[in-house]
Amino acid sequence: MEYLIREANASDLDAIMAIENECFATDAWSQEVMLSELEAPHTYYLVAEVEDQVVGYAGLSQLVGATQADIQTIAVRPNQRGSGLGRALMQELTKEATRRGAKEVFLEVRADNTIAQKLYKLFGFKQIGLRKKYYQPDGVDAFVMKTSLLRDDVSEPLVLGIETSCDETGIGIVRGNTLLANVISSSMDQHARFGGVVPEVAARAHLEALTPALEQALSEAKVTLDEIDAIAVTNGPGLAGALMVGVGAAKALAVSTGKPIYAVNHLVGHIAADILDQGKLAVPTIALLVSGGHTSLLLVRDIINDVQLLGETIDDAAGEAFDKVARVLGLPYPGGPEIDKAALGGNPAAIRFPRGLTLPKDMAEHRYDFSFSGLKTAVARHVELAESKGETLVISDVAASFREAVVDVLIRKAIAACVDNNIPRLLLGGGVIANARLREVAIEACRENNIELRIPPLSLCTDNGAMIAALGSQLVQAGFAPSSLDFSADSTLLVTQIQS
Amino acid sequence: MSEHLVSVKQGYVLAIDTSAGTTVAVLSLGEVLAELNYLEPMTHSERIGSAIEEVLAKAKIAPSNISQVVVGRGPGPYTGLRVGLAAAKFFAIGANAELVGVCSLDAIAYSYYQQNPNQNVPVLVTTDARRQEVFWALYNSLDRGVPIRVEGPSVNKPAYLEELLTGQEHIVTDLPITASSLGQVAHFQSLTDLGASKDSSPIYLREPDATPGKAKKVSG
Repeated sequence: MEYLIREANASDLDAIMAIENECFATDAWSQEVMLSELEAPHTYYLVAEVEDQVVGYAGLSQLVGATQADIQTIAVRPNQRGSGLGRALMQELTKEATRRGAKEVFLEVRADNTIAQKLYKLFGFKQIGLRKKYYQPDGVDAFVMKTSLLRDDVSEPLVLGIETSCDETGIGIVRGNTLLANVISSSMDQHARFGGVVPEVAARAHLEALTPALEQALSEAKVTLDEIDAIAVTNGPGLAGALMVGVGAAKALAVSTGKPIYAVNHLVGHIAADILDQGKLAVPTIALLVSGGHTSLLLVRDIINDVQLLGETIDDAAGEAFDKVARVLGLPYPGGPEIDKAALGGNPAAIRFPRGLTLPKDMAEHRYDFSFSGLKTAVARHVELAESKGETLVISDVAASFREAVVDVLIRKAIAACVDNNIPRLLLGGGVIANARLREVAIEACRENNIELRIPPLSLCTDNGAMIAALGSQLVQAGFAPSSLDFSADSTLLVTQIQS
Repeated sequence: MSEHLVSVKQGYVLAIDTSAGTTVAVLSLGEVLAELNYLEPMTHSERIGSAIEEVLAKAKIAPSNISQVVVGRGPGPYTGLRVGLAAAKFFAIGANAELVGVCSLDAIAYSYYQQNPNQNVPVLVTTDARRQEVFWALYNSLDRGVPIRVEGPSVNKPAYLEELLTGQEHIVTDLPITASSLGQVAHFQSLTDLGASKDSSPIYLREPDATPGKAKKVSG
């Protein structure tokens, strides 16, 4: 949804009063009071416009030179609620309070207005007092809430991101929504002879790579640790032993530098990658994340507080299927690029390999879920059968047909998610996005269905610290309180847990 | 080596070990100012941040006043061990402190000699290495505060160790590891000609447990 937030003036009075009376039927301010507040020098009023109509407003009051500010009012028309307008208004007010030198912001809220209280809590507001029967004539109590403004400027925070959930040690630095450094140290080569990621090997490599990666990131970004505003770290999902290396390092760095720490979700981090590429995330969007560890379809309405899991793999991840089939075909690890090479000149329709969870009976329960283990078995059977019959195996046909089966299911389900939810946007993420055929089919399918396709550059698609920093930056910009130091590494962290 | 002496004399030391439980301490000139010990073997990554924060608060020392971080290099179960090593590395960078490493078993030997200062019989330190094996090292004395390790660290089955030490008089200790002892070992090491070791790499003693993969047959 497109909206505009601008400073209010007296000509907005009628529109504001209409909303005031609609939202606060029993205790609305009078027109005279509203006008004097709008025009007072110590206040700051904003209106939110959608299609040139004022649909919400909010006001701040702060005496000149005071370090305390009050949020006086905030209202959004009922038919425009739930789309982030209230949060956007709050964000602008707290920014202005910061600009005016406020250290603390206060507000009062009806005890029975839990939706508003939830919004305020997002901005770190905590209840500090109670005013009995404050709202009349209803006789409803008011909660007095307060938040402390941590930093001078939350609009362009400098955030360091640490990512160690699988086999890539990533340290990234962003300022606001801008990428400054993205250092990735991969242990992929060390896993090659095992045919897949070995958790212990990955964790050992993280420990070795951390310090050089941090030093390189700081030098590339041309910043010092002192300048960093916040530290973000992946605390799940991923390999437990690998996650713990990054979590231990990040916590100690937070304590030694005195910086706030944000524990963030790896999968949501993949979505944040697009912010670094585009400057902002267009929402709502469907996101398809495909890697060696994950295959997930997500519906993102707001990256900091509304990400929904539509479906995921019920067995192997897509990248894992590539690795396993590569092994069946005698190809090295990692399987994705090797199968791409082997598929060159092959006929993708030569063998009709199964498309997991696409039959009508499966679609009822697993509409957006994936399954690749049956496909892997089918390829192995095909190869063994050919060998036992003494037939020559056309590797290029097998590789091309297998890849087609994977890509077909991935994109078909992603498009269905867009169409079913009436969301004309698809964002791709994860290392398997490197697969040229996947991108080709995605581009084609999105064009046919009028869906806007977003594919961040590959260095932001594979696991990296910059995307974690970007997500941390969104949380800081929205005024979210930091995580407590006691969060754990959670290998099965749910995607709805954006910050721990 | 005078560099070590100077830094130890001027500043405060943070010691961290996660080779068994989570243990942290703040020291100055070898004197323990504060210590926290959590024995649970599975909560390192949850504990480590608050443990460091709390022990500094208890010692009333700001992080920026730490000039040296001493870390236990193990041996110990790897997943937990790495949490302390990772934390020590990044704490040191953040506080602009030097990082030194100590074999975790040395700290146990140090604790033993503190309690038994006149022990002349060799001391065997063992810790649980899981898979029915033990990490171990053998010490013969404490020299100017530094435990003198004569064998190990190694990982073996208890039966092997028993055979190895047959006929050799020794005393076994199973004292817990403490960061205060770890910090003291580093302190006394820094006073020797060799100085404390800047090697903070983990002592693993085992290769990663994995075998090169092969494709499995799916049909009989």
